Amino acid sequence: MTFETWDGDDESAAGRFVPLYVLVNGRTAPRDSTLDLATQVVALPVDTRGLEPEYVEIVRRCANWISVAEIGAYLHLPLAITKVMVDVLIEQGYLGAGTPAQRNIVDLHLLDSVLAGLERL
Amino acid sequence: MDRTSVKIVVAGGFGTGKTTLVASVSEIPPLTTEEILTEASIGVDDTTGVEGKTTTTVALDFGRITISPDVVLYLFGTPGQDRFWFMWDELAQGAVGAIVLVDTRRLESSFAAVDYFERRGIPFVTAVNRFFGECAYTDDEIRSALELDSRVPLVWCDARDRDSSKLALITLVRHAMARLRVRAGSVPVAP
Ligand SMILES: Nc1nc2c(ncn2[C@@H]2O[C@H](COP(=O)(O)OP(=O)(O)OP(=O)(O)O)[C@@H](O)[C@H]2O)c(=O)[nH]1
Ligand SMILES: [Mg+2]
Repeated sequence: MTFETWDGDDESAAGRFVPLYVLVNGRTAPRDSTLDLATQVVALPVDTRGLEPEYVEIVRRCANWISVAEIGAYLHLPLAITKVMVDVLIEQGYLGAGTPAQRNIVDLHLLDSVLAGLERL
Repeated sequence: MDRTSVKIVVAGGFGTGKTTLVASVSEIPPLTTEEILTEASIGVDDTTGVEGKTTTTVALDFGRITISPDVVLYLFGTPGQDRFWFMWDELAQGAVGAIVLVDTRRLESSFAAVDYFERRGIPFVTAVNRFFGECAYTDDEIRSALELDSRVPLVWCDARDRDSSKLALITLVRHAMARLRVRAGSVPVAP
């Protein structure tokens, strides 16, 4: 799913800002990273001993399913950096990823259960 | 073993009660995550010398509601400064839809949010936050001031009140479902 970029009356200085292009472990954050900030991840039963401490800390946070946004908030990491680090951990098999929000936008059955969940609140 | 994420965006002008609404229904106190932004003129492939360039931080608040053992709903409030469209795109992508909060003392401050979701065809409902009880406007006056499509639901709410915020969320999910059904039903029949 793609989005047109904003073409409205955005002449302000802030309109020129984009997320800082980060470099983590020799990788740069893809502008179109498929990892959504609501996507949840979970630690896989893998030995984390060769990992750098910052990565171990993320894996520890993922003992239970947790979203990319929550990891960033708890570890005080900017979102773009959190995404790249989580991406690295998924790629290397330390974390498993759940179903991202994007795929379900047309899923009436899922929306039905969300509705029921909200009504129960 | 899987875990599905569902997103809803809580938008609106500056100070319209976005964080308050998220807080009133979230099962955890709202969390804040930050994005460090840098000037786009640097170019996306240039990762050198970033230190010297202008950067700014934009914060977003979010909360969560566990729907079932395998589905979690995340509620993301848009950044207070609605100029950071880049962040809106990230939040809106894959979202069920949005609640656009409106403060009747400053109707125009939510105009950009209405416009944003309308242009992209993202389902949204307007929730008029009753800040101080009585409101001088009728539904129709608010609708015409915001140039709302007649199909967009309008609810009145008190963002501090859990049941009221819940109702706004339920109205949005129903609206999104109704739109999906209309779409499914309107698929042209092959000749
Ligand atoms: N009386 C009343 N006050 C409210 C209501 N909703 C929010 N407030 C207050 O209005 C102020 C702004 O609310 P926030 O929830 O911070 O608004 P916001 O949209 O998140 O603000 P920004 O993120 O800065 O744009 C706070 O002091 C809230 O306590 C309401 O329904 N009634
Ligand atoms: Mg706020």
